[in-house]
Amino acid sequence: MIEIEKMGKPAVPIVSGRFEEDAIASARAFAMPDLQFVIVPRIYRNLAHDECIRQTEAVIDDLVHVLTNRDDHKRLSTIETADRHRFEGADRYDAVLQMNEDFIMRDWGDGFPLSPATGQAVHELMQGTSLAPDHLVCDMPPGFGLATVEKIAINAAMAGAKPAHMPVIIAAVQALSQLGSHGGKSLLMSTSCHAPMLVVNGPIAQDLGLNPGSGLGPGRDNRVNITIGRAFSLCLRNLGYWYPGQMDMDTIGTTRKFVHCLAENEAMSPWEPYHVDKGFRRDESAISIFVTDGELDVQDQGNTTAEGLLKTIAYGCTFGTRSLGEGHRAERLIFMPPDVARPVGAQGFSKRGAKEFIHLHANASLGKMIQYMPLEGEARVAANWKWLETLSEQERLDMTVPVLEHAERYDIVVIGADRAKTLVMPSGPSSVTVGIDAYR
Amino acid sequence: MYTLEVFNPVAQQRGTLTAMPINPRPSSLSNKTLGLLWSGTHGGDVALKRAGDLLQERFANLRVHFYAGSGYPAAPPMVTQAAEECDVVIGATAD
Repeated sequence: MIEIEKMGKPAVPIVSGRFEEDAIASARAFAMPDLQFVIVPRIYRNLAHDECIRQTEAVIDDLVHVLTNRDDHKRLSTIETADRHRFEGADRYDAVLQMNEDFIMRDWGDGFPLSPATGQAVHELMQGTSLAPDHLVCDMPPGFGLATVEKIAINAAMAGAKPAHMPVIIAAVQALSQLGSHGGKSLLMSTSCHAPMLVVNGPIAQDLGLNPGSGLGPGRDNRVNITIGRAFSLCLRNLGYWYPGQMDMDTIGTTRKFVHCLAENEAMSPWEPYHVDKGFRRDESAISIFVTDGELDVQDQGNTTAEGLLKTIAYGCTFGTRSLGEGHRAERLIFMPPDVARPVGAQGFSKRGAKEFIHLHANASLGKMIQYMPLEGEARVAANWKWLETLSEQERLDMTVPVLEHAERYDIVVIGADRAKTLVMPSGPSSVTVGIDAYR
Repeated sequence: MYTLEVFNPVAQQRGTLTAMPINPRPSSLSNKTLGLLWSGTHGGDVALKRAGDLLQERFANLRVHFYAGSGYPAAPPMVTQAAEECDVVIGATAD
């Protein structure tokens, strides 16, 4: 609708109930803060036909009004623009508590206690990079805030980051902005639980103490993984405006939005590191960003052949949906532990060969894959899948197809401790890998 | 008494630097062309078609064009076509 307004024609969306704040935030982010819209109570997608009709009829007067009248008043911005905030307490501890209460209520935090981003704390973090404080790294999706190095450092300070973490955090912010269409804007704003996942390769991973073993969890050993991921998460909120109920519209949500930063277990991998696949040298450091929308623990209880191990993973890869729409780019991110990767590699499989084998065996019932979305409706079935409409339900259930388009839709990263427990995550769009060394 | 001073973590948005006003509205939709831009989400087509029918009942000689997209956001060529062919456009976020 905003694009049509920008082309010179009045345009009005009908906005479903809980999306009112999202509509206001999106209008501001996409440079048309006074966009007019009408509100209906319920989201249309899961309503019966007569309910769709009824709630639309109820707002027809509102629709006529906004199509034929331009309200003179401008929508007031609620964005706080003060450069600094002051908190007074009985002592420093009390003042920090007050800051936390205020920031949490503004939704500037993640719910956990925040460290104060004092002038001293931010100055120290700026020592971790040679970039100037006002250097603009990117416009950060989905709300396209100006991600300067100083703003990144402020959020990193609140996460408890160290100066040495700064190049990684800056590279992660840059990577997000290069992801998919407009930095994965639509996915980030989806009602599904799409969440970023960060993986570091190269010497900096060991230098910083990132855990390449059981790295996707809490605790002392994952302190650096958690801190860098948290700094990135706070940047996503306060630079990317990824605030729940505004531009993060999850239906239920996911703990994966407490973003983690992992390191590939390069020492235990039989293959070249992930960033080398993306064109970097082994002695360079890089960060890759993925977007996942679920995770599945794929257990292997005794296979020792490469084929057996990979078939187990292939079955796990059938978890997750696939749209039959045009240009859908569903992928799978596979965190493969050394106890799977090493025997697979030792038995002659390259990484590419392993992905092709998985793709060959990751087939599922077409009928089951598409049952989440009714086939009727002209827009949802792409032209090259229209023949599906001529099949019976049973014929569709009996037909199997590859779950993804081709083998390169699978990403393999070797991560984990001893044990053949692979983590498979539905993912997409394709990952982006950004060098870290340029931000030192 | 202790005073703690901290930086504001929130960035200025690009959209606030490039903000544009909305367009003037016609005083009536009579003799105009209305675009119904459907992103393809279930139920949105039902809503838009009903809205189009009701507006045609209210305004004389209102022409209605329906544009069926295949996903969100609607493909740029379709958005451009709707903007070129219509005087006003409505859509449904529906999600």
